[in-house]
Amino acid sequence: MSILETKNVSKQYPGTLALDNVTVSFESGKVHAFIGKNGSGKSTLVNVFSGSTAATSGKVFLDGKELQFRSPSEAQACGLATVYQELSLVPNISVAENIFLGRLPMKNGHVDWKKTYAEAENLLKEIGIDIPVKEQISRLSIWQCQMIEIAKAMSLNPKVLMLDEPTSSLAQHEVEALFRIIRKLKEKDVIIIYITHKLQELWQIADTCTVLRDGKLIGIRNIHELDRRELLKMMFGEVTVKSMPEDLKCSPNVVLKVDHLSDGRRFQNVSFELHEGEVLGIAGMLGSGRTELLSCIFGSRKSTEGSVELKGKIYEKRSPEIMNKAGMAMIQEDRKRLGINLSGSIAQNLCYAALNRIGKGINIDRKIEKKMIEKQVSDLQIKVADTSYPISALSGGNQQKVAVGNWLNIDPEVMIFDEPSKGIDVNAKQQIFQIIWDQSRKGVSSILVSTELEELLETCHRILIMQNGKITKEVDPKQMTVEDLYAVCMGEE
Amino acid sequence: MEKSSKKISKFIEQYMLEVVIVVMIVFMSFLSPHFLKVNNIMNILRNISLQGIVAFGMTLTIVCGELDLSVPSSVATAGVLTALIGGKLESAGIMPLQYGAIVGILVSCVFAAVVGLINGICITKFRIPAMIATIAMNYIIYGFSAFISKGYPVTTLPSWLSVIGSGKIFGVIPVPVIFLLIVFAITFYLLKYTKYGRACLAVGGNAESARLSGINVVKTKIITMIIVQVCCVLSGVLLSGQVMSGTFSFAKGWEMTAISSVVIGGSSIAGGTGNVKGTFLGIIFLGIILNGMTLMNVNDYLQYVVRGVLMIGAVMLNAMMANKNRG
Repeated sequence: MSILETKNVSKQYPGTLALDNVTVSFESGKVHAFIGKNGSGKSTLVNVFSGSTAATSGKVFLDGKELQFRSPSEAQACGLATVYQELSLVPNISVAENIFLGRLPMKNGHVDWKKTYAEAENLLKEIGIDIPVKEQISRLSIWQCQMIEIAKAMSLNPKVLMLDEPTSSLAQHEVEALFRIIRKLKEKDVIIIYITHKLQELWQIADTCTVLRDGKLIGIRNIHELDRRELLKMMFGEVTVKSMPEDLKCSPNVVLKVDHLSDGRRFQNVSFELHEGEVLGIAGMLGSGRTELLSCIFGSRKSTEGSVELKGKIYEKRSPEIMNKAGMAMIQEDRKRLGINLSGSIAQNLCYAALNRIGKGINIDRKIEKKMIEKQVSDLQIKVADTSYPISALSGGNQQKVAVGNWLNIDPEVMIFDEPSKGIDVNAKQQIFQIIWDQSRKGVSSILVSTELEELLETCHRILIMQNGKITKEVDPKQMTVEDLYAVCMGEE
Repeated sequence: MEKSSKKISKFIEQYMLEVVIVVMIVFMSFLSPHFLKVNNIMNILRNISLQGIVAFGMTLTIVCGELDLSVPSSVATAGVLTALIGGKLESAGIMPLQYGAIVGILVSCVFAAVVGLINGICITKFRIPAMIATIAMNYIIYGFSAFISKGYPVTTLPSWLSVIGSGKIFGVIPVPVIFLLIVFAITFYLLKYTKYGRACLAVGGNAESARLSGINVVKTKIITMIIVQVCCVLSGVLLSGQVMSGTFSFAKGWEMTAISSVVIGGSSIAGGTGNVKGTFLGIIFLGIILNGMTLMNVNDYLQYVVRGVLMIGAVMLNAMMANKNRG
């Protein structure tokens, strides 16, 4: 029997208090779920446990002993192991090698393979994982890799095992298999901390439920004495959602028609229509297939079936180049990696999408270019002294405005925003919404994807619910609360 | 006082290469009385012209985040093809050598374009790293060129080629220098004032974000790989004119000089930033160093050591400056 405790733990980030005086304790042999919406502080708390961030104040105890570590490896040595969402296995070597990577059993100065395989086999058998230890990781499916990650963590004989959204990319039957393993681990007297955003899983796997909101501990409850409604209330508290400006109307004209679109993997049979001037939200959790859907419409990902019709023209073959010409824009979720060119200047980054529209022939028309740059800088209120500065000098919010401005220069008909408010401050967020609305007033239609459900309720005319690669429902934001929307996203009423 | 010293350090940082070159010139003129003579200066310019032309093409590939290591064989092959085709056409009685060589040059251009196209397709469609694809291509062309010339220098070249190879305008300025300036101007223009140049910068900086902005990454890279090959033809034709022979083994190590000039000139080897003017200065810098070492009777083999050290030094400096600017 062991106990993990925190006493008045706080974590201050510049501008935000991510954890606010959290005092809580967890006992072994149980699965403790951490619940909270984005930014509630649940990941920060796990990071404190896993050693990847240090608390600003407060203490953490394991079995009455104060824990102080500066790195994940030190935390591991103290008996706190974490299995992250992103898998960290080396693909081209065996299961056994991965489990004991960096600490393979040695004999006479070389690796003792016999022992390695035997120990790995014992470990897997003990937890109930049926995977050959000599199999190469690259031949395993994602959920099998997830199991190996857990086995690897367990091989350290931890007292605390933290699982960070282990089911986010798993199918239903795979989730079942994972849960079987977790239940088995409970018998081993381990403190299991389970982070998820899939509420329905809680009653299947968790024993207690720790709810955080805005960095504060709202409560720790026995899951079986808690119903969904109550849990949602704990998560969201009293929220006032601002509604969209009254003057935003959309016409009945259909601009974009997506018909039975599938990519053969992450989403199937998706159909919807987008009207002129409409802001259409797509709500779905991580792994619901929303980014893949948008990428397929935009042509940066291949679709296997179905069609996309823009302004009455069906686009069989799509690529970002073709859709750009057709008047479709897409603001990417991963801004730094996909949205902008960090080694380019602000001016250059504003003129990539419109490159073929800056004058005729092979030359760049400097006058048109200058006009494009100046227009976006003033319209979008990009705060910058000189547009020849590198874009890396800008704040996240201003970089995002540049990414949007890059696309506004093509005068698009349809704009796709994938998580446009990710990693930018509240002010910049509002400005981005303002831009979306301004475009709507001009008759430009937008598709908006966000995990922040309040944002969707605030900005959209209509919201589609996406779940496990399917559009399951269409809702009217005016008749919804955040809790309702969250419940619908989870597939509940 | 502090302000002005800051200004000076900023000036030196911005014009470091210019400053270094001036210092080197002053230094050399004290060490060797021959250095500042018109003859020697023109000699330096002629020496750097041919490799400089290749370096400008290389600048574009590096801006795109790629490389072309097949340039030595391409340069040599242009001369071999020109001489062989001109000779064959003459001996077959189809046309005299002075016209036959023009046909040879045109065929070389087509050949180069095909090589560039294949390099480009290997890099973009088959995702073979440029270093591997073009080094293999270097071998292929080398072998091909040795095979068609049976391993001998081919000397059937018209006399006018000698004029553009080693002639002098007003008896002073070597003709290849004119070509160097023309290629410089074209490259500078391409990178700064055309959509293609802008696409190169975008692709080299972040190929995926460029693609997602609707820029045709494949086309941009293929065009670049063709341009550098065409630069090789020009350089190769001038080279064969200079020595009045087309030889398959010419131009060994030119890829190294070209890449060095580009990097010394301040373009990032990782792509995304391009400095054509810098490449020009890089060529001049290397030219002065090589000339200086020769004037001072530095051992030939040691010159290779110096070149290698310079290249590593330039890349290191480049990375340090980039880090400093980022931090």
